[in-house]
Amino acid sequence: MNLKISALEYVQEVQNGNISAEDFTAKTLERISQIDDKLHAFLQVNSDAVDQARQIDKKIKSGEKVGACYGMPISIKDNICIKNSKTTCASKMLENFISPYDATVISKLKQEDAVFVGKANLDEFAMGLTTEFSAYGPSKNPWNQDYVPGGSSGGSAVSVASHECIASLGSDTGGSVRNPASFCGAVGYKPTYGLISRYGLISYANSIEQIGPITKTVKDTAFLLNLVTGLDTNDDTTTDNSGQDYLSGIDAGIEGKKIGIIQEMIVEGTDPAVLSATKNAISKFEGLGATCEDVSLDMVKYSVAAYYTITATEAGSNLARYDNLLYGYDFPVEGYEFNSYISKARTKFGPEVIRRMILGGFVPSAGHAGKYYLKALKVKQKLTEEINKVLQGYDYLIAPTVPILPFKIGEKIDDPIALFLVDINTVTSNLTGKPAISVPFAVSNGLPIGMQILANSMEDKSLLQAAHALEGTVKLPEVPI
Amino acid sequence: MNCLVSEEEIEQVAKLMKIDVHDHKEFVDKVHAMIDYFDILDSAGVDDEEISMQDIPLSKLREDKYIAYDDKLIEKLNHYKEKYVRAPKMM
Repeated sequence: MNLKISALEYVQEVQNGNISAEDFTAKTLERISQIDDKLHAFLQVNSDAVDQARQIDKKIKSGEKVGACYGMPISIKDNICIKNSKTTCASKMLENFISPYDATVISKLKQEDAVFVGKANLDEFAMGLTTEFSAYGPSKNPWNQDYVPGGSSGGSAVSVASHECIASLGSDTGGSVRNPASFCGAVGYKPTYGLISRYGLISYANSIEQIGPITKTVKDTAFLLNLVTGLDTNDDTTTDNSGQDYLSGIDAGIEGKKIGIIQEMIVEGTDPAVLSATKNAISKFEGLGATCEDVSLDMVKYSVAAYYTITATEAGSNLARYDNLLYGYDFPVEGYEFNSYISKARTKFGPEVIRRMILGGFVPSAGHAGKYYLKALKVKQKLTEEINKVLQGYDYLIAPTVPILPFKIGEKIDDPIALFLVDINTVTSNLTGKPAISVPFAVSNGLPIGMQILANSMEDKSLLQAAHALEGTVKLPEVPI
Repeated sequence: MNCLVSEEEIEQVAKLMKIDVHDHKEFVDKVHAMIDYFDILDSAGVDDEEISMQDIPLSKLREDKYIAYDDKLIEKLNHYKEKYVRAPKMM
Protein backbone atom coordinates (compact mmCIF):
# COMPACT_ATOMS: atom_id res chain seq x y z
CA MET A 1 0.00 0.00 0.00
CA ASN A 2 1.29 3.45 -0.94
CA LEU A 3 1.43 5.54 2.22
CA LYS A 4 2.96 8.46 0.31
CA ILE A 5 -0.34 9.61 -1.20
CA SER A 6 -1.77 13.04 -0.48
CA ALA A 7 -4.97 13.69 1.46
CA LEU A 8 -6.96 14.33 -1.71
CA GLU A 9 -5.59 11.16 -3.33
CA TYR A 10 -6.49 9.21 -0.19
CA VAL A 11 -10.10 10.43 -0.30
CA GLN A 12 -10.31 9.51 -3.99
CA GLU A 13 -8.88 6.02 -3.37
CA VAL A 14 -11.31 5.30 -0.52
CA GLN A 15 -14.27 6.66 -2.48
CA ASN A 16 -13.32 4.44 -5.43
CA GLY A 17 -13.10 1.43 -3.15
CA ASN A 18 -9.41 0.85 -3.96
CA ILE A 19 -8.37 1.04 -0.30
CA SER A 20 -10.15 0.86 3.03
CA ALA A 21 -9.66 3.25 5.93
CA GLU A 22 -8.89 0.27 8.19
CA ASP A 23 -6.12 -1.13 5.96
CA PHE A 24 -4.58 2.29 5.42
CA THR A 25 -4.60 3.10 9.13
CA ALA A 26 -3.19 -0.33 10.02
CA LYS A 27 -0.35 0.15 7.53
CA THR A 28 0.24 3.66 8.87
CA LEU A 29 0.54 2.34 12.44
CA GLU A 30 2.87 -0.39 11.16
CA ARG A 31 5.11 2.24 9.59
CA ILE A 32 5.09 4.24 12.82
CA SER A 33 6.16 1.15 14.76
CA GLN A 34 8.91 0.49 12.21
CA ILE A 35 10.49 3.94 11.96
CA ASP A 36 9.41 6.08 14.87
CA ASP A 37 12.07 4.66 17.18
CA LYS A 38 14.52 6.50 14.95
CA LEU A 39 12.49 9.67 14.33
CA HIS A 40 10.54 10.18 17.55
CA ALA A 41 7.77 12.13 15.87
CA PHE A 42 5.16 10.80 18.30
CA LEU A 43 4.70 11.13 22.04
CA GLN A 44 1.66 8.83 22.03
CA VAL A 45 0.15 6.58 19.39
CA ASN A 46 -3.60 5.93 19.36
CA SER A 47 -4.02 2.18 19.77
CA ASP A 48 -7.75 2.49 18.93
CA ALA A 49 -7.05 4.08 15.55
CA VAL A 50 -7.65 0.88 13.54
CA ASP A 51 -10.97 0.23 15.31
CA GLN A 52 -12.04 3.81 14.65
CA ALA A 53 -11.11 3.46 10.97
CA ARG A 54 -13.10 0.19 10.81
CA GLN A 55 -16.19 2.02 12.09
CA ILE A 56 -15.79 4.58 9.30
CA ASP A 57 -15.49 1.76 6.73
CA LYS A 58 -18.79 0.40 8.06
CA LYS A 59 -20.42 3.78 7.53
CA ILE A 60 -19.10 3.87 3.97
CA LYS A 61 -20.36 0.34 3.22
CA SER A 62 -23.79 1.00 4.71
CA GLY A 63 -24.22 4.11 2.58
CA GLU A 64 -24.37 6.33 5.66
CA LYS A 65 -23.17 9.93 5.28
CA VAL A 66 -19.40 10.01 5.71
CA GLY A 67 -17.26 13.03 6.63
CA ALA A 68 -14.81 14.56 4.15
CA CYS A 69 -11.77 12.84 5.69
CA TYR A 70 -12.99 9.23 5.13
CA GLY A 71 -10.91 7.91 8.01
CA MET A 72 -7.75 9.75 7.02
CA PRO A 73 -4.90 9.26 9.53
CA ILE A 74 -3.89 12.62 10.97
CA SER A 75 -1.39 13.47 13.71
CA ILE A 76 -2.03 16.24 16.23
CA LYS A 77 0.57 18.38 17.98
CA ASP A 78 0.49 17.48 21.65
CA ASN A 79 -0.61 20.96 22.76
CA ILE A 80 -4.04 20.52 21.17
CA CYS A 81 -6.63 18.82 23.39
CA ILE A 82 -8.35 15.58 22.43
CA LYS A 83 -10.99 14.54 24.98
CA ASN A 84 -10.03 11.67 27.29
CA SER A 85 -6.50 11.46 25.94
CA LYS A 86 -3.19 12.73 27.23
CA THR A 87 -2.11 16.24 26.28
CA THR A 88 1.37 16.73 27.69
CA CYS A 89 2.73 19.76 25.80
CA ALA A 90 5.95 17.70 25.87
CA SER A 91 6.28 18.76 29.51
CA LYS A 92 6.75 16.72 32.68
CA MET A 93 4.37 19.21 34.27
CA LEU A 94 1.47 17.74 32.26
CA GLU A 95 2.84 14.21 32.04
CA ASN A 96 -0.49 12.63 33.05
CA PHE A 97 -2.93 15.35 32.08
CA ILE A 98 -6.02 13.88 30.43
CA SER A 99 -7.98 16.51 28.54
CA PRO A 100 -11.64 16.70 29.60
CA TYR A 101 -12.74 18.28 26.31
CA ASP A 102 -12.00 18.48 22.60
CA ALA A 103 -10.39 21.49 20.98
CA THR A 104 -12.68 23.05 18.37
CA VAL A 105 -10.41 21.85 15.54
CA ILE A 106 -10.63 18.32 16.95
CA SER A 107 -14.46 18.43 17.17
CA LYS A 108 -14.57 19.62 13.57
CA LEU A 109 -12.21 16.90 12.33
CA LYS A 110 -14.09 14.22 14.29
CA GLN A 111 -17.28 15.31 12.52
CA GLU A 112 -15.41 14.88 9.25
CA ASP A 113 -14.35 11.33 10.17
CA ALA A 114 -10.63 11.92 10.60
CA VAL A 115 -8.68 9.32 12.59
CA PHE A 116 -6.09 10.69 15.00
CA VAL A 117 -3.13 8.31 14.88
CA GLY A 118 -1.17 10.02 17.62
CA LYS A 119 0.06 13.09 19.44
CA ALA A 120 3.14 14.67 17.90
CA ASN A 121 6.27 15.83 19.69
CA LEU A 122 7.07 19.53 20.22
CA ASP A 123 9.33 21.81 22.19
CA GLU A 124 7.96 22.02 25.73
CA PHE A 125 4.88 24.29 25.66
CA ALA A 126 5.81 25.10 22.04
CA MET A 127 8.78 27.19 23.19
CA GLY A 128 11.58 26.44 20.79
CA LEU A 129 12.32 25.75 17.17
CA THR A 130 14.10 22.41 17.09
CA THR A 131 12.10 20.05 19.43
CA GLU A 132 15.29 19.80 21.49
CA PHE A 133 13.37 21.37 24.38
CA SER A 134 10.84 18.53 24.50
CA ALA A 135 10.99 16.90 27.95
CA TYR A 136 10.76 13.55 26.15
CA GLY A 137 13.71 14.01 23.79
CA PRO A 138 14.05 15.56 20.34
CA SER A 139 12.49 14.44 17.08
CA LYS A 140 14.92 13.75 14.23
CA ASN A 141 14.91 15.14 10.72
CA PRO A 142 13.82 12.34 8.35
CA TRP A 143 16.22 13.64 5.68
CA ASN A 144 19.20 13.19 7.98
CA GLN A 145 18.67 12.00 11.53
CA ASP A 146 21.69 13.90 12.86
CA TYR A 147 19.84 17.12 12.12
CA VAL A 148 17.00 18.96 13.84
CA PRO A 149 13.56 18.79 12.20
CA GLY A 150 12.73 22.36 13.20
CA GLY A 151 10.07 23.30 15.69
CA SER A 152 8.17 23.71 17.70
CA SER A 153 5.76 21.53 15.66
CA GLY A 154 8.70 19.27 14.77
CA GLY A 155 6.88 16.00 15.46
CA SER A 156 4.01 17.07 13.21
CA ALA A 157 6.34 17.91 10.32
CA VAL A 158 8.38 14.72 10.74
CA SER A 159 5.25 12.56 10.83
CA VAL A 160 3.94 14.06 7.57
CA ALA A 161 7.29 14.15 5.74
CA SER A 162 8.09 10.52 6.65
CA HIS A 163 4.58 9.26 5.78
CA GLU A 164 3.63 8.29 9.33
CA CYS A 165 0.32 10.05 8.65
CA ILE A 166 -1.28 12.00 5.81
CA ALA A 167 -1.49 15.40 7.46
CA SER A 168 -1.03 17.07 10.80
CA LEU A 169 -2.14 20.07 12.82
CA GLY A 170 0.52 22.15 14.53
CA SER A 171 0.54 25.60 16.09
CA ASP A 172 2.51 28.61 14.91
CA THR A 173 3.47 31.38 17.34
CA GLY A 174 6.60 32.65 15.60
CA GLY A 175 7.10 30.13 12.81
CA SER A 176 6.44 26.88 14.64
CA VAL A 177 4.52 25.37 11.71
CA ARG A 178 6.48 26.91 8.82
CA ASN A 179 9.96 26.36 10.26
CA PRO A 180 9.68 22.55 10.72
CA ALA A 181 7.76 22.25 7.43
CA SER A 182 10.69 23.99 5.73
CA PHE A 183 13.30 21.82 7.48
CA CYS A 184 11.43 18.57 6.70
CA GLY A 185 10.21 19.29 3.15
CA ALA A 186 6.48 19.65 3.92
CA VAL A 187 3.92 22.41 3.37
CA GLY A 188 3.34 24.50 6.51
CA TYR A 189 0.57 27.07 6.87
CA LYS A 190 0.03 29.92 9.34
CA PRO A 191 -3.43 31.31 8.62
CA THR A 192 -4.68 34.88 9.09
CA TYR A 193 -4.99 35.51 12.83
CA GLY A 194 -8.51 34.47 13.84
CA LEU A 195 -9.19 32.15 10.91
CA ILE A 196 -8.92 28.98 13.03
CA SER A 197 -10.26 28.70 16.57
CA ARG A 198 -7.65 28.41 19.33
CA TYR A 199 -10.13 26.89 21.78
CA GLY A 200 -8.43 23.80 23.15
CA LEU A 201 -4.95 24.87 22.07
CA ILE A 202 -2.90 25.15 25.25
CA SER A 203 -2.03 28.83 25.43
CA TYR A 204 1.47 30.18 25.02
CA ALA A 205 1.10 33.65 23.43
CA ASN A 206 -2.57 34.14 22.61
CA SER A 207 -2.29 37.44 20.79
CA ILE A 208 -0.25 36.00 17.91
CA GLU A 209 -0.49 32.20 17.86
CA GLN A 210 -2.59 30.18 15.46
CA ILE A 211 -3.25 26.51 14.73
CA GLY A 212 -2.08 25.59 11.23
CA PRO A 213 -1.92 22.50 9.02
CA ILE A 214 1.22 20.68 7.89
CA THR A 215 0.58 18.67 4.75
CA LYS A 216 2.22 16.98 1.77
CA THR A 217 0.73 19.38 -0.81
CA VAL A 218 -0.73 22.89 -0.93
CA LYS A 219 -4.06 21.45 -2.08
CA ASP A 220 -4.14 19.31 1.09
CA THR A 221 -3.69 22.47 3.17
CA ALA A 222 -6.65 24.06 1.35
CA PHE A 223 -8.66 20.87 1.96
CA LEU A 224 -7.95 20.98 5.71
CA LEU A 225 -8.64 24.71 5.94
CA ASN A 226 -12.09 24.05 4.48
CA LEU A 227 -12.74 21.77 7.46
CA VAL A 228 -11.29 23.67 10.42
CA THR A 229 -11.79 27.40 9.79
CA GLY A 230 -14.65 29.68 10.84
CA LEU A 231 -16.29 31.44 13.75
CA ASP A 232 -16.29 29.77 17.16
CA THR A 233 -18.26 31.06 20.16
CA ASN A 234 -15.54 29.59 22.38
CA ASP A 235 -12.88 31.84 20.81
CA ASP A 236 -13.90 35.46 20.42
CA THR A 237 -10.85 36.21 18.29
CA THR A 238 -12.17 34.05 15.44
CA THR A 239 -13.17 35.72 12.20
CA ASP A 240 -16.12 35.00 9.95
CA ASN A 241 -14.71 33.72 6.64
CA SER A 242 -18.20 33.20 5.20
CA GLY A 243 -17.57 29.52 4.55
CA GLN A 244 -14.77 30.31 2.10
CA ASP A 245 -13.82 27.35 -0.16
CA TYR A 246 -10.03 27.39 -0.28
CA LEU A 247 -9.76 24.49 -2.69
CA SER A 248 -11.93 25.82 -5.49
CA GLY A 249 -9.97 27.88 -7.99
CA ILE A 250 -6.63 26.91 -6.48
CA ASP A 251 -5.29 26.44 -10.01
CA ALA A 252 -5.95 30.13 -10.83
CA GLY A 253 -2.23 30.88 -11.21
CA ILE A 254 -0.47 34.17 -10.54
CA GLU A 255 -0.19 35.79 -13.93
CA GLY A 256 -0.14 39.56 -13.61
CA LYS A 257 0.37 39.48 -9.85
CA LYS A 258 2.94 41.70 -8.13
CA ILE A 259 5.36 40.15 -5.67
CA GLY A 260 7.59 42.00 -3.22
CA ILE A 261 10.91 40.44 -2.17
CA ILE A 262 11.51 41.44 1.47
CA GLN A 263 15.08 42.73 1.53
CA GLU A 264 15.44 42.61 5.32
CA MET A 265 14.82 38.84 5.18
CA ILE A 266 17.67 38.13 2.77
CA VAL A 267 20.49 39.38 4.91
CA GLU A 268 24.13 38.71 5.64
CA GLY A 269 24.43 35.25 7.12
CA THR A 270 21.83 33.73 4.82
CA ASP A 271 23.12 30.34 3.66
CA PRO A 272 24.35 30.47 0.01
CA ALA A 273 22.12 27.50 -0.85
CA VAL A 274 19.09 29.33 0.58
CA LEU A 275 20.10 32.47 -1.33
CA SER A 276 20.38 30.54 -4.55
CA ALA A 277 16.98 28.85 -3.94
CA THR A 278 15.42 32.27 -3.34
CA LYS A 279 16.80 33.63 -6.63
CA ASN A 280 15.50 30.52 -8.36
CA ALA A 281 12.05 30.98 -6.76
CA ILE A 282 11.95 34.58 -8.02
CA SER A 283 12.72 33.31 -11.56
CA LYS A 284 9.97 30.72 -11.24
CA PHE A 285 7.46 33.35 -10.13
CA GLU A 286 8.46 35.55 -13.08
CA GLY A 287 8.15 32.54 -15.36
CA LEU A 288 4.58 32.14 -14.11
CA GLY A 289 3.78 35.68 -15.21
CA ALA A 290 4.25 37.61 -11.95
CA THR A 291 6.36 40.74 -11.50
CA CYS A 292 8.92 40.64 -8.68
CA GLU A 293 10.46 43.73 -7.09
CA ASP A 294 12.48 44.46 -3.96
CA VAL A 295 10.54 45.89 -1.02
CA SER A 296 11.66 47.06 2.40
CA LEU A 297 10.18 46.45 5.85
CA ASP A 298 12.51 48.37 8.13
CA MET A 299 11.01 47.02 11.37
CA VAL A 300 11.93 43.42 10.50
CA LYS A 301 15.36 44.13 12.08
CA TYR A 302 13.65 44.55 15.44
CA SER A 303 10.95 41.94 14.98
CA VAL A 304 12.68 39.05 16.77
CA ALA A 305 13.36 41.13 19.89
CA ALA A 306 9.76 42.40 19.84
CA TYR A 307 8.45 38.89 19.29
CA TYR A 308 10.36 37.36 22.21
CA THR A 309 9.43 40.23 24.50
CA ILE A 310 5.72 39.91 23.72
CA THR A 311 5.64 36.09 23.79
CA ALA A 312 7.60 35.89 27.04
CA THR A 313 5.19 38.35 28.65
CA GLU A 314 2.16 36.36 27.56
CA ALA A 315 3.85 33.08 28.49
CA GLY A 316 4.63 34.41 31.98
CA SER A 317 0.93 35.06 32.42
CA ASN A 318 -0.39 31.91 30.71
CA LEU A 319 1.93 29.54 32.51
CA ALA A 320 1.01 30.94 35.93
CA ARG A 321 -1.85 28.39 35.92
CA TYR A 322 0.65 25.53 36.34
CA ASP A 323 0.82 25.82 40.08
CA ASN A 324 -0.46 22.30 40.88
CA LEU A 325 -3.68 23.80 42.15
CA LEU A 326 -5.27 24.67 38.80
CA TYR A 327 -3.09 22.47 36.60
CA GLY A 328 -0.17 20.21 37.32
CA TYR A 329 0.53 16.68 38.47
CA ASP A 330 0.05 14.38 41.44
CA PHE A 331 2.24 15.82 44.20
CA PRO A 332 1.16 15.67 47.87
CA VAL A 333 0.65 18.97 49.68
CA GLU A 334 1.82 17.73 53.11
CA GLY A 335 4.85 19.53 54.49
CA TYR A 336 4.70 22.50 52.15
CA GLU A 337 3.67 26.08 52.70
CA PHE A 338 1.74 27.69 49.81
CA ASN A 339 4.60 29.43 47.96
CA SER A 340 7.17 26.70 48.50
CA TYR A 341 4.68 24.09 47.27
CA ILE A 342 4.18 25.98 43.99
CA SER A 343 7.92 26.59 43.57
CA LYS A 344 8.64 22.94 44.20
CA ALA A 345 5.93 21.80 41.78
CA ARG A 346 7.29 24.13 39.09
CA THR A 347 10.69 22.45 39.13
CA LYS A 348 9.10 20.05 36.62
CA PHE A 349 9.27 22.78 33.99
CA GLY A 350 12.20 22.41 31.60
CA PRO A 351 14.98 25.03 31.39
CA GLU A 352 13.69 26.92 28.34
CA VAL A 353 10.21 27.32 29.87
CA ILE A 354 11.75 28.59 33.11
CA ARG A 355 13.93 31.06 31.22
CA ARG A 356 10.95 32.42 29.30
CA MET A 357 8.82 32.64 32.44
CA ILE A 358 11.54 34.65 34.17
CA LEU A 359 11.82 36.87 31.09
CA GLY A 360 8.04 37.14 31.05
CA GLY A 361 8.07 38.35 34.63
CA PHE A 362 10.86 40.81 33.95
CA VAL A 363 10.09 42.62 30.67
CA PRO A 364 6.61 43.90 31.58
CA SER A 365 7.49 44.69 35.21
CA ALA A 366 7.28 48.15 36.76
CA GLY A 367 10.39 50.09 35.82
CA HIS A 368 11.17 47.93 32.79
CA ALA A 369 7.91 47.81 30.80
CA GLY A 370 8.66 51.09 29.00
CA LYS A 371 12.05 49.86 27.84
CA TYR A 372 10.95 46.39 26.78
CA TYR A 373 7.28 45.40 26.60
CA LEU A 374 5.73 48.70 25.54
CA LYS A 375 8.51 49.28 23.02
CA ALA A 376 7.93 45.79 21.63
CA LEU A 377 4.24 46.59 21.18
CA LYS A 378 5.22 49.78 19.35
CA VAL A 379 7.52 47.83 17.02
CA LYS A 380 4.64 45.42 16.38
CA GLN A 381 2.39 48.37 15.56
CA LYS A 382 4.90 50.02 13.23
CA LEU A 383 5.72 46.72 11.50
CA THR A 384 1.99 46.21 10.87
CA GLU A 385 1.71 49.72 9.41
CA GLU A 386 4.74 49.08 7.18
CA ILE A 387 3.47 45.75 5.85
CA ASN A 388 -0.04 47.13 5.28
CA LYS A 389 1.45 49.96 3.23
CA VAL A 390 3.62 47.61 1.16
CA LEU A 391 0.70 45.26 0.55
CA GLN A 392 -1.27 48.12 -1.00
CA GLY A 393 1.11 47.82 -3.95
CA TYR A 394 1.83 44.09 -3.96
CA ASP A 395 -0.27 40.91 -3.93
CA TYR A 396 2.33 38.77 -2.16
CA LEU A 397 5.60 39.11 -0.29
CA ILE A 398 8.29 36.43 -0.41
CA ALA A 399 11.41 35.41 1.49
CA PRO A 400 13.07 32.13 2.41
CA THR A 401 11.18 30.54 5.32
CA VAL A 402 14.41 30.11 7.30
CA PRO A 403 17.66 31.83 6.26
CA ILE A 404 19.77 28.77 7.07
CA LEU A 405 19.67 25.03 6.38
CA PRO A 406 18.66 22.56 9.12
CA PHE A 407 21.54 22.27 11.60
CA LYS A 408 22.85 19.43 13.70
CA ILE A 409 21.11 18.39 16.90
CA GLY A 410 22.89 20.08 19.81
CA GLU A 411 24.62 22.65 17.59
CA LYS A 412 22.73 25.73 18.80
CA ILE A 413 20.97 24.57 21.96
CA ASP A 414 23.29 26.51 24.29
CA ASP A 415 23.15 29.74 22.33
CA PRO A 416 19.74 31.41 22.80
CA ILE A 417 20.57 34.35 20.53
CA ALA A 418 21.62 32.07 17.63
CA LEU A 419 18.30 30.27 18.07
CA PHE A 420 16.41 33.60 18.19
CA LEU A 421 17.76 34.56 14.78
CA VAL A 422 16.48 31.39 13.11
CA ASP A 423 13.03 32.98 13.57
CA ILE A 424 13.90 36.23 11.77
CA ASN A 425 11.84 35.51 8.62
CA THR A 426 8.80 33.93 10.23
CA VAL A 427 7.82 36.16 13.18
CA THR A 428 6.64 39.04 10.96
CA SER A 429 3.51 37.20 9.88
CA ASN A 430 2.63 36.43 13.52
CA LEU A 431 3.25 39.96 14.76
CA THR A 432 1.13 41.43 11.95
CA GLY A 433 -1.55 38.71 11.82
CA LYS A 434 -0.89 38.04 8.11
CA PRO A 435 -1.20 34.58 6.58
CA ALA A 436 2.02 32.88 5.46
CA ILE A 437 2.95 29.55 3.93
CA SER A 438 6.17 27.59 3.57
CA VAL A 439 6.40 25.62 0.32
CA PRO A 440 9.11 22.95 -0.11
CA PHE A 441 11.28 24.36 -2.87
CA ALA A 442 14.77 22.84 -2.99
CA VAL A 443 17.09 20.27 -1.45
CA SER A 444 20.72 21.15 -0.75
CA ASN A 445 23.24 18.64 0.59
CA GLY A 446 20.35 16.31 1.29
CA LEU A 447 18.43 18.88 3.38
CA PRO A 448 15.22 20.68 2.34
CA ILE A 449 14.72 24.42 1.84
CA GLY A 450 11.29 26.06 2.07
CA MET A 451 10.14 29.26 0.40
CA GLN A 452 7.78 31.53 2.31
CA ILE A 453 4.95 33.54 0.76
CA LEU A 454 2.91 36.10 2.74
CA ALA A 455 -0.32 37.86 1.79
CA ASN A 456 -2.73 40.36 3.28
CA SER A 457 -5.13 39.40 6.07
CA MET A 458 -8.05 37.24 4.88
CA GLU A 459 -6.33 36.72 1.52
CA ASP A 460 -5.66 33.10 2.46
CA LYS A 461 -7.36 31.78 -0.65
CA SER A 462 -5.24 33.90 -2.97
CA LEU A 463 -2.11 32.96 -0.97
CA LEU A 464 -2.82 29.26 -1.51
CA GLN A 465 -3.18 29.89 -5.24
CA ALA A 466 0.30 31.45 -5.34
CA ALA A 467 1.76 28.62 -3.24
CA HIS A 468 0.16 26.01 -5.47
CA ALA A 469 1.59 27.71 -8.55
CA LEU A 470 5.11 27.73 -7.06
CA GLU A 471 4.78 24.13 -5.90
CA GLY A 472 3.99 23.10 -9.47
CA THR A 473 7.37 24.35 -10.69
CA VAL A 474 9.47 21.98 -8.57
CA LYS A 475 9.95 18.26 -8.22
CA LEU A 476 11.90 17.33 -5.12
CA PRO A 477 13.57 13.99 -4.35
CA GLU A 478 11.78 11.63 -1.98
CA VAL A 479 12.58 11.61 1.72
CA PRO A 480 15.25 8.93 2.28
CA ILE A 481 13.51 6.89 4.98
CA MET B 1 28.75 40.87 31.02
CA ASN B 2 27.84 44.44 30.13
CA CYS B 3 24.22 44.53 31.22
CA LEU B 4 22.18 47.16 33.02
CA VAL B 5 20.03 44.50 34.61
CA SER B 6 21.52 43.01 37.75
CA GLU B 7 21.59 39.36 38.68
CA GLU B 8 19.71 40.27 41.84
CA GLU B 9 16.85 41.69 39.80
CA ILE B 10 16.58 38.51 37.76
CA GLU B 11 16.68 36.42 40.95
CA GLN B 12 13.99 38.59 42.48
CA VAL B 13 11.72 38.15 39.45
CA ALA B 14 12.22 34.38 39.59
CA LYS B 15 11.28 34.42 43.26
CA LEU B 16 8.17 36.54 42.64
CA MET B 17 7.12 34.12 39.93
CA LYS B 18 7.56 31.24 42.39
CA ILE B 19 10.29 29.59 40.36
CA ASP B 20 13.18 27.78 42.01
CA VAL B 21 16.34 28.20 39.99
CA HIS B 22 18.83 25.43 40.69
CA ASP B 23 21.56 25.80 38.10
CA HIS B 24 21.95 29.41 39.05
CA LYS B 25 24.73 30.66 36.78
CA GLU B 26 23.37 28.86 33.74
CA PHE B 27 19.98 30.56 34.09
CA VAL B 28 21.16 34.02 34.99
CA ASP B 29 23.71 34.10 32.13
CA LYS B 30 21.21 32.99 29.51
CA VAL B 31 18.44 35.30 30.71
CA HIS B 32 21.02 38.11 30.77
CA ALA B 33 22.02 37.34 27.18
CA MET B 34 18.38 37.44 26.12
CA ILE B 35 17.69 40.74 27.88
CA ASP B 36 20.89 42.20 26.40
CA TYR B 37 19.63 41.26 22.95
CA PHE B 38 16.33 43.04 23.61
CA ASP B 39 18.27 46.30 23.93
CA ILE B 40 18.14 46.44 20.13
CA LEU B 41 14.58 47.75 20.63
CA ASP B 42 16.13 51.06 21.77
CA SER B 43 17.32 51.75 18.22
CA ALA B 44 13.94 51.06 16.58
CA GLY B 45 12.94 54.73 16.82
CA VAL B 46 9.40 53.96 17.89
CA ASP B 47 9.16 56.19 20.95
CA ASP B 48 6.47 58.37 19.33
CA GLU B 49 4.48 55.44 18.01
CA GLU B 50 0.97 54.99 19.42
CA ILE B 51 -0.03 51.51 20.51
CA SER B 52 -3.45 50.85 19.03
CA MET B 53 -5.63 48.08 20.30
CA GLN B 54 -8.50 46.53 18.43
CA ASP B 55 -11.79 47.51 20.05
CA ILE B 56 -14.28 44.69 20.37
CA PRO B 57 -17.69 45.85 21.64
CA LEU B 58 -19.17 43.81 24.44
CA SER B 59 -22.08 42.92 22.19
CA LYS B 60 -19.67 40.93 20.01
CA LEU B 61 -18.47 38.81 22.89
CA ARG B 62 -20.01 35.58 24.07
CA GLU B 63 -22.71 36.05 26.67
CA ASP B 64 -21.19 35.96 30.15
CA LYS B 65 -23.28 33.22 31.63
CA TYR B 66 -22.63 30.03 33.49
CA ILE B 67 -22.64 26.92 31.35
CA ALA B 68 -23.00 23.66 33.25
CA TYR B 69 -20.05 21.32 32.77
CA ASP B 70 -19.21 17.79 33.74
CA ASP B 71 -19.50 17.97 37.56
CA LYS B 72 -17.79 14.60 37.90
CA LEU B 73 -14.50 16.21 36.90
CA ILE B 74 -13.68 16.92 40.54
CA GLU B 75 -13.57 13.18 41.22
CA LYS B 76 -10.54 12.96 38.94
CA LEU B 77 -8.55 15.09 41.38
CA ASN B 78 -6.48 13.37 44.01
CA HIS B 79 -6.61 15.97 46.79
CA TYR B 80 -10.28 16.72 47.29
CA LYS B 81 -12.88 16.15 49.93
CA GLU B 82 -16.58 16.43 49.12
CA LYS B 83 -16.70 19.64 47.07
CA TYR B 84 -13.39 21.08 48.26
CA VAL B 85 -9.91 20.83 46.79
CA ARG B 86 -7.11 20.53 49.32
CA ALA B 87 -4.40 23.16 48.91
CA PRO B 88 -1.16 23.76 50.82
CA LYS B 89 -1.13 26.01 53.90
CA MET B 90 -1.03 29.75 53.24
CA MET B 91 1.21 30.51 56.24
